[in-house]
Amino acid sequence: MISHADASEIFISDSERTDWHDETLWFVRAKRDKVSKVLPEWEDLREHASQIKDHTLANLGEYLRAFEAKAQANGIHVHWAADAAEHNAIVHGIIASQSSKVLVKSKSMLTEECHLNDYLASKGIEVVDTDLGERIVQFRNEVPSHIVLPAIHLKKEDVGETFHQHLGTPKGNKDPQFLTEAARQHLRGHFLASEVAITGVNFAVAETGEFVVCTNEGNADMGAHLAKVHIACMGIEKIIPKREDLAVFLRLLARSATGQLITTYSSHFHLPREGQEVHIVFLDNGRTRQLADSKYKNSLKCIRCAACFNTCPVYRRSGGHSYHQPVAGPIGSILAPNVDKKANVDLPFASTLCGSCSNVCPVKINIHEQLWFWRQDLMSAGLAPAVKTVGMKMMAFVLANPVIYRLGGAFLRRFSGLLNNRLNPWYKQREMPVAPKDSFQEWYKKR
Amino acid sequence: MVQKTMSSRDQILGKIEPLEPVQYPGAFTKASEGFDFMASLAVVGARVVSPSELEELFPGRRRFDKTMDGLSLADVEVLEIDGEFGVAENGAIWLTEEAMPHRVAPFICQHLVINVTEIVPTMHAAYARLGGVKSGFGLFLAGPSKTADIEQSLVVGAHGARSLTIVIRS
Ligand code: SF4
Repeated sequence: MISHADASEIFISDSERTDWHDETLWFVRAKRDKVSKVLPEWEDLREHASQIKDHTLANLGEYLRAFEAKAQANGIHVHWAADAAEHNAIVHGIIASQSSKVLVKSKSMLTEECHLNDYLASKGIEVVDTDLGERIVQFRNEVPSHIVLPAIHLKKEDVGETFHQHLGTPKGNKDPQFLTEAARQHLRGHFLASEVAITGVNFAVAETGEFVVCTNEGNADMGAHLAKVHIACMGIEKIIPKREDLAVFLRLLARSATGQLITTYSSHFHLPREGQEVHIVFLDNGRTRQLADSKYKNSLKCIRCAACFNTCPVYRRSGGHSYHQPVAGPIGSILAPNVDKKANVDLPFASTLCGSCSNVCPVKINIHEQLWFWRQDLMSAGLAPAVKTVGMKMMAFVLANPVIYRLGGAFLRRFSGLLNNRLNPWYKQREMPVAPKDSFQEWYKKR
Repeated sequence: MVQKTMSSRDQILGKIEPLEPVQYPGAFTKASEGFDFMASLAVVGARVVSPSELEELFPGRRRFDKTMDGLSLADVEVLEIDGEFGVAENGAIWLTEEAMPHRVAPFICQHLVINVTEIVPTMHAAYARLGGVKSGFGLFLAGPSKTADIEQSLVVGAHGARSLTIVIRS
């Protein structure tokens, strides 16, 4: 496995593209700031959401049982999968009873985590990803580089060429409007023909047994409402206690994710449509282990908004693929070592520990602290890359540059011994903008 | 060889230890008010017209009719349905399956028209207004289908309706 540091070197070798990636994601972060500041209760909302999630995790078994009972009473089939292999086998078992060999799937990071597409392909079943960004990366045999903006690593020229090859659009046409229309026509055919639709789940309400799926494109709904069989795949941490909790989470999710007031479609699935079969698959895959560890259990509060990605100076300048995990960015870096320490030893080091992730997180996960805990755990397990005197060199480099210093923040200064210079290649080849003279002081006063 | 005797369900539930109790925070009570529904509709890309403007704009539209089925809806150009209420803070409109010919209707039509008669200030007020679940399927819909997956350029009309027109009726 190529490490985050090495993959980042490759990513930043195209400096124009790196700058574009950086600036575009920062723009999304700025939109988030704007729409959240409009609400005077924003911080209270975050705190409330955090408490709901803490409460839910403290009673997760009870809420899962409650949800299951309600969902079953509503006529929904509930399945439990201990790991990715069992998840995939369950999904395949449901599909196998249908005649169709093609199915549509809307965005679900969980099915990426389980490598469901590859598994089903090995069984002769084709999965058509219907989120535009996911369809683009699927055509290219890539994986999403961002959990909300799957194709953010690509430029419109790339998409134009990909659609030219796969959908026969005119060579050289890179107009987003035109290309989106081509995808719309192409995918409508699949929506109308598919017997099975797979979706993710954003929230599952224990009180009612309903689940909510949010999309801007409408692809989850197009799939689910036209298919005979709807399979919704979810991690066990997606449960929330009450229906009214949705108000808190729906307000936070879109504002944090893209700076929208709300996602275009927030669909509440309660009963199967007449004649339709609905299945829910609960997945553990290491989540119960994470829950049992008091240092890391908070990471299960995540609502996958990706605000921590957009704000992260390392993510923005290294790209999602550098993290070699379906969920990249700061949250991915604390989730992945729980599943496999050795394979993900580089990820907790792919950070400046500036704490910006924790500051934007709508459910107040202490992301940067957990990154630091992982560094300690990986080092004491003898797995972390050796830290020599690099920390000191790093300090000198950082102090010489106001911009990095600003990004670095208090943690960088305090725990510089846990930093590894080699793991910070995103600073290379970067002509740093000159910061205004008083920026440091301004920033310092605000801290 | 030890045979797998416990179901995954029991295994997973068995692994979940109750943690230190954390109190459920209760209902959120700090919501601000004074949101402008019209302004929010503009932000989410919906257009507001008067009943007479609607006649001019979409003379051939079809109003909700129980005889439509999912597939013929694919050819529906303009569909008109009733929303239950709108949400001022974000321009979302609550729709239930009872008010549409098929669950896929508001997605598969080319252009969607929604009549709105009632507005609540926030999402908290919206769920309070909804109370328990009364429909097999319902959704908050805010604006037309959209995507920005190609270089973050906003394109309206991804998979769902290409436009959303709102008529406020009393
Ligand atoms: S950790 Fe927080 S900010 Fe990051 S994706 Fe999850 S909820 Fe969003």
